[in-house]
Amino acid sequence: MFRKVLIANRGEIALRVISACKEMGIRTVAVYSEADRNSLHVRFADEAICIGPPRSAESYLNVPAVISAAEIADVDAIHPGYGLLSENANFAEVCRASNIKFIGPPPEVTRMMGEKSTARQTMKKAKVPILPGSDGIVESEKDALEWAKSVGYPVILKAVAGGGGRGMRICRTAEELPGLYQQASSEAAGAFGNGDLYMEKFIERPRHIEFQVLADEHGNVMSLGERECSIQRRHQKLIEEAPSLMVSPKLRAELGATIQKCLKDIGYWNAGTIEFLMDEDGKIYFIEMNTRIQVEHCVTEMVTGIDLVKAQLRIAAGEKLSDIVTKPVAITGHAIECRINAEHPEKFTPSAGKITAFNVPGGNGVRVDTAQYAEGVVPPYYDSLIAKLICHGKDREESMNKMQRALSQFVVQGIHTSIPLHQKIFADAEFRAGQFDTKFMERFFERQNKTPPPEEGHFDPNEPIR
Amino acid sequence: MKGKAEALRGAGRVMMEENSLDKLRELVDFLKGNGIAEFDIDRPDLKMRIKFAGTAAAPGIDASQLAGLLAGAGGATAAHAKATAVAGAAAEEKAAEAEKLQEVKSPIVGTFYESPSPGAPPFVKIGDQVEVGQVLCIIEAMKLMNEIESDVAGEVVKRIASSGEPVEYGQPLFAIRPR
Repeated sequence: MFRKVLIANRGEIALRVISACKEMGIRTVAVYSEADRNSLHVRFADEAICIGPPRSAESYLNVPAVISAAEIADVDAIHPGYGLLSENANFAEVCRASNIKFIGPPPEVTRMMGEKSTARQTMKKAKVPILPGSDGIVESEKDALEWAKSVGYPVILKAVAGGGGRGMRICRTAEELPGLYQQASSEAAGAFGNGDLYMEKFIERPRHIEFQVLADEHGNVMSLGERECSIQRRHQKLIEEAPSLMVSPKLRAELGATIQKCLKDIGYWNAGTIEFLMDEDGKIYFIEMNTRIQVEHCVTEMVTGIDLVKAQLRIAAGEKLSDIVTKPVAITGHAIECRINAEHPEKFTPSAGKITAFNVPGGNGVRVDTAQYAEGVVPPYYDSLIAKLICHGKDREESMNKMQRALSQFVVQGIHTSIPLHQKIFADAEFRAGQFDTKFMERFFERQNKTPPPEEGHFDPNEPIR
Repeated sequence: MKGKAEALRGAGRVMMEENSLDKLRELVDFLKGNGIAEFDIDRPDLKMRIKFAGTAAAPGIDASQLAGLLAGAGGATAAHAKATAVAGAAAEEKAAEAEKLQEVKSPIVGTFYESPSPGAPPFVKIGDQVEVGQVLCIIEAMKLMNEIESDVAGEVVKRIASSGEPVEYGQPLFAIRPR
């Protein structure tokens, strides 16, 4: 097992990794920017090294600074957390060249799965269902009609050279396709100088389903079941849960087996997540893979009882999966996670500043992962996630009720947080029924705009106490 | 100036008499003259926050002069005053020493070496006069030797880091008395 590990991250995930290391008797080294001098991850690590000024590019993303810190602290391995350098194949290569173990997959695999088209090809070869796409330019309206007919409507036309929604048209019938093809092509030619189009199947109301995997460095791969992350705002996840109400045991087992084989073939190591979209008929399509631990790994931990971060450390130290996960993976109960962000719950403007009160809820099946504290400061330089509130119950109903109770006791003053937003979501009928998709938040906001404000005497625990 | 006094009144919720207003004007002039970018005071009798747009760095302020102005502006004892003056980019809470030394800080993470190679004489000795851009030491990072240049001209008064010692970003290496 490693003697010393450097955590190349900050905030709650850095503290999460430091905690796992402490429990395993591994010495920890934190790196921090000047803005994070008083952070908990710095305080609770055995050693801490300042690596740069506040801006991420000059500190947490500064590869020479991180590697240099690892060298002077004489560490055995680096855990990259999520975001930042975690999916940076170049960083993983520099670690390898510096004789420091990178806790994650080999750089070549990271690079392969990080590139959208190679990832799709890899999955396709392994017979993992992928979102049907034309895989090349659709030369004419005639070709477009043929392709759409074979795949089924609705379809989406996209500019080959494009992005930002330009040169894109959703098409729902054969009648409108030729016209939309022309429009998309002209728009693309005007915006990017290239009117070439490709096509993909379009899912109107998709659900976001992702599978957690663990793989050791001896060719063994295991699926730990799925998470549903359909509650998103502008493609940022807000709420995640495990298991998904839409995944039957049969689908879980079949897809798990297919993924397992695929990742074994490509030589995947360590933790990873494979993301899918599920259409209205329950058919599932691969969209992308994340070659790292994820924010929402906690819900999987709560329903499987497996510590994923410790598993990462043990895998990287060369242990076999059969020694780490000793029993078949069983999903017990239901877990839900709310991402608590430092932002206004209605305007979504970021809210940096000093926290003046911080009361964290507890109790049976209630977990809070956070690196914030009373008198702590939320700096303006980094993402707004300040805490994760996870509730586990025997079923979805119980976890939702626990979450409502826990949210009502989670007091954060001095900054705005998304706690009031989560409270409203958990009172929403569509959310409670579990019949949602990735467009849920749009419909939710529409419903919110129609309802009158709360009456006098409504208690808000986040109002300053007088 | 009237507009500024209004803002101060609003921020501090203090009733100003004409005499106190004059003292405050003096305080504002003092801060501006010394290139202070932000000024924050939190006292039982006076809460004030002033922020100026874009100033040059001013590492040393006359603390006694500042205390005098504060006593005049608020009227309460300075004992409970907690004033923080932030001076542009070169912010130093402990900057105003009698010596007015400037610290050269490490711009990178690595291992500090005072000489170009083992056994060779050090780049600089205590008492040496150095120029801006002159190499003071080497910091080794990822097997590369980085020459660290002085950002101030003056006399080397202290070598703070020891040869062979690991240093972090922002760690003081030398103290220089600026010319």
